[in-house]
Amino acid sequence: MEKGLIAIAAALAVMTGATTGIGEAKVAQHAVEAIGKNPDAADKIRSMAIIGAALSETCAIYGMLVSFLIIFVLGAN
Amino acid sequence: MPGLVVQPTVYYIIAVTAVISLFIMILYSQLRKFNPLDEPKGLVLLAIMAYRFVDDMLRQETNEKITEKLGPYIAVTLLYIFLSNISGLFGIEPPTANYSVTLTLAAITVILIEVNAIKFNGVKNYVKSLFEPLAPFVFINIISKFSTLMSLSLRLFGNIVSGSILMTIIYLLFAKVSSVIPFIGAFNFVGVAIAPFLHFYFDLFAGLIQTYIFTTLTVTFIGKELPDK
Repeated sequence: MEKGLIAIAAALAVMTGATTGIGEAKVAQHAVEAIGKNPDAADKIRSMAIIGAALSETCAIYGMLVSFLIIFVLGAN
Repeated sequence: MPGLVVQPTVYYIIAVTAVISLFIMILYSQLRKFNPLDEPKGLVLLAIMAYRFVDDMLRQETNEKITEKLGPYIAVTLLYIFLSNISGLFGIEPPTANYSVTLTLAAITVILIEVNAIKFNGVKNYVKSLFEPLAPFVFINIISKFSTLMSLSLRLFGNIVSGSILMTIIYLLFAKVSSVIPFIGAFNFVGVAIAPFLHFYFDLFAGLIQTYIFTTLTVTFIGKELPDK
């Protein structure tokens, strides 16, 4: 019973990834659009897109950390 | 000493530091022998490319006065975080999967940001900037300094630790899958076939990206506080 609840809690915590996926897709979309409009700036756009994607990925990483903590701290005993 | 437990990460940190020291010593001896008129190749070429990368990054984000001083720190941080991140490939637990290590690195960044902000803006302007836009915002401004520390350290830590935990889980899963087959099942051959691609993503790609992110953010945050950028 309790193990099941812990698993559900961990799954809920990792659901931050759902919206992060949309956000990162938007980063990629606008990067592609920007390169289409201005191919000369591809190098700068690429590094900015990687930084933006990694920054928004942090949200998902936090959710994942919380779910790991729930699994390994609450689920251990 | 009784009750004192040395975490295995300490040995890994020492190992990574030793590898970096060895690399820098070899590089130094190669650079001493190098004739500037020759075409650079091997380690010397790599060093020149790394220098150009760090120098371009610093010149874009910060002003002239700080570029010379910050360059060596950024270069060694790049090398250290990258070697730590990819050390999962050599069968050891990455030092950056320990929160103490990433917290220390982020603390160095935050101290650099604040020290440079005070140095270039003056104490008066620095204290004034804490009370902007209104006096009660001082609490939020002070908390936001700590949020930089938390987000920088947790980003690196979370990425690396999630990669290493996922790899452990995947190896356990593949061991179970391959144990279905009799006789040769004890040898985890499914893992050997599939794991290299996942190692490529979780160790090499994520490690490289996170190294880039950490150093870029360090440089950007320091540059943001400087005046006439």
